[in-house]
Amino acid sequence: MKPPRWFRWRPAAIVLGLAVALALLPPVARISVYTQNQLTLTFVTIAAALAWNWLGGYLGQVSFGHAALFGLGGFVAARLQISAHLPMILAWTAGGLVAGLYALAWGHPTLRLRGPYFSIATIGVGEATRLVCTYWDWFTGGSSGMSLPVTAGLKLQLYWYGIAIALVGVATSYWLRRSPLGMALLAIKSDVDAAGDVGISSVRLQDGVLFLSGLAMGICGAFNASYYSFIEPVETLGFEKSISFVFMGVIGGVGTILGPALGAVVFVLVRQYFIASYPQLYLGLFGVLLVLVILFEPLGLTGLSLRVARRFGYRERPDLST
Amino acid sequence: MIEHLLDLTVSAFLLAGLYATMAYGLGLIYGVLRVVNLNHGGMIMAGAYAAWWAHDQFGLDPYLSIPIILVLAFLVGVLTYAGLVRRLPRGAAGGVQSLLLLFGVWLILRNAAYLVFSGNDQTVLTSYSTKALPFLGAQISVNRLAVFGVALVTLGALHLFLTRTYVGKAIRAVAQNPESCTLAGVPVQRIYMLTFGLGTALASLAGALATGLYAFNPGFGATELLKSFVVVVLGGLGSVAGTAVAALILALVENFSILVIPSYLTSAVGFVLLVLVLVLRPGGLFGQRVLG
Repeated sequence: MKPPRWFRWRPAAIVLGLAVALALLPPVARISVYTQNQLTLTFVTIAAALAWNWLGGYLGQVSFGHAALFGLGGFVAARLQISAHLPMILAWTAGGLVAGLYALAWGHPTLRLRGPYFSIATIGVGEATRLVCTYWDWFTGGSSGMSLPVTAGLKLQLYWYGIAIALVGVATSYWLRRSPLGMALLAIKSDVDAAGDVGISSVRLQDGVLFLSGLAMGICGAFNASYYSFIEPVETLGFEKSISFVFMGVIGGVGTILGPALGAVVFVLVRQYFIASYPQLYLGLFGVLLVLVILFEPLGLTGLSLRVARRFGYRERPDLST
Repeated sequence: MIEHLLDLTVSAFLLAGLYATMAYGLGLIYGVLRVVNLNHGGMIMAGAYAAWWAHDQFGLDPYLSIPIILVLAFLVGVLTYAGLVRRLPRGAAGGVQSLLLLFGVWLILRNAAYLVFSGNDQTVLTSYSTKALPFLGAQISVNRLAVFGVALVTLGALHLFLTRTYVGKAIRAVAQNPESCTLAGVPVQRIYMLTFGLGTALASLAGALATGLYAFNPGFGATELLKSFVVVVLGGLGSVAGTAVAALILALVENFSILVIPSYLTSAVGFVLLVLVLVLRPGGLFGQRVLG
């Protein structure tokens, strides 16, 4: 069987190798529980950052409200596990599906229009979702949240699931960028009219990507709830959560394939440091970072590394950047 | 019941003044520069804090501090444009970048306000804060009336400025076609700068006016940004009359929604309205008109 044309052996081997190495870390290298937990969180953050990028980067529809999808997935999955005793994976899937459909409900009308309507709407969706979820305590447990069942060995299990989720996220990112479909998305981002002229249905494709992004986001949120065995609306659905995904994308490089994954890793590390050292300056410092990146290196770390590589004589293939 | 309805209607009319003011700033910048000023929320918040601070420190009446706030905010807007927005590319890529950039500025402002003024809710209490006038059996708070008056004067002045003065006409011309303006000798960059300053000043004016009606904290402005956007979408770009009618519709829908839905959902009302309009009439209720 021939692999599809967008498939490349080298990056696939590198990513898979990395995943296997990471998967073997806990049993072989006996890393500390702390490191293991940090890694678990990083994996799921990577998947979430990539999911944000499918919309914000590939289509240029920046979302300031992805926490709503993240949180909704978490709440649905948590409620199903608590009230219906659904197995974890099934509950995650259900959470993801609900989040994806929810994204379509408000995204479909706003994505049809050109310009920033979608982005602005996401600010409202984020706020409204947080408010509604805080008040619907029969569903979400209100501001005191709700606790999920804890089973023995769950954390190690989640570590491996986390790797799997991140892996699927990376593969989807490659597929959404390199396949003919990815070319269509790029066309839509550059010029909706021209894309329409060559027979690309922007409405259907944008909706499709939105659903995928919501699905992945919901699953990540559900995973997060399982990881903490707890979920509450204030932090899960907060404004800061939403913009953390924006930061990861911008730091790593909006619209690049793996940039947001790198951005997620950097974000997790930097955030730990900021929160510990300058809790009051945290948002502002990220704001400064955002302004600087956009002004001087809009492709973030990916752009920076390309620039360095170019200095040493590396010539990238033209479709790698932007 | 009738009195209650009358109360809601009157307060919606008065609230619409504030909504129109804050929406006009956003619409002006978007109409001329095609940039959504996400820092709009930040400047609303900054305007509110400026009015509060002047009152708290010097006992200056919020309505008297408005001219100073307007000038300062205008300068902030000019600097934001000249220092930041101007450096971005135009077109599709610039759209995303300007969103992110101005969002960053908003975060910085928010954090600065949090550091300086703490995260506590603040209110401006004046001698007339609780005074009300009787009107057709309803009670109208003096503050609401004053806010409405200032908004009316501002919008009227803006309308005259945009339609009757040379610079105003230049702004409208640039909104229609920047390239032709360059050919005709209009200093487009300077018009952009001026427009950004004006829009920012309007945002801070709305913030200063809002101190008479609401408590606020550094996060203030997010819902206001959204409401402004709803009004801009409803009313079409830049038409003063369209903006006023759209602001009135939003205020009426919000006020009357209290009768049918729980109060914590009222902030979602504007959003539902936005989606409805986008689906049913993407060009706004009155079609797209360019400033005037």
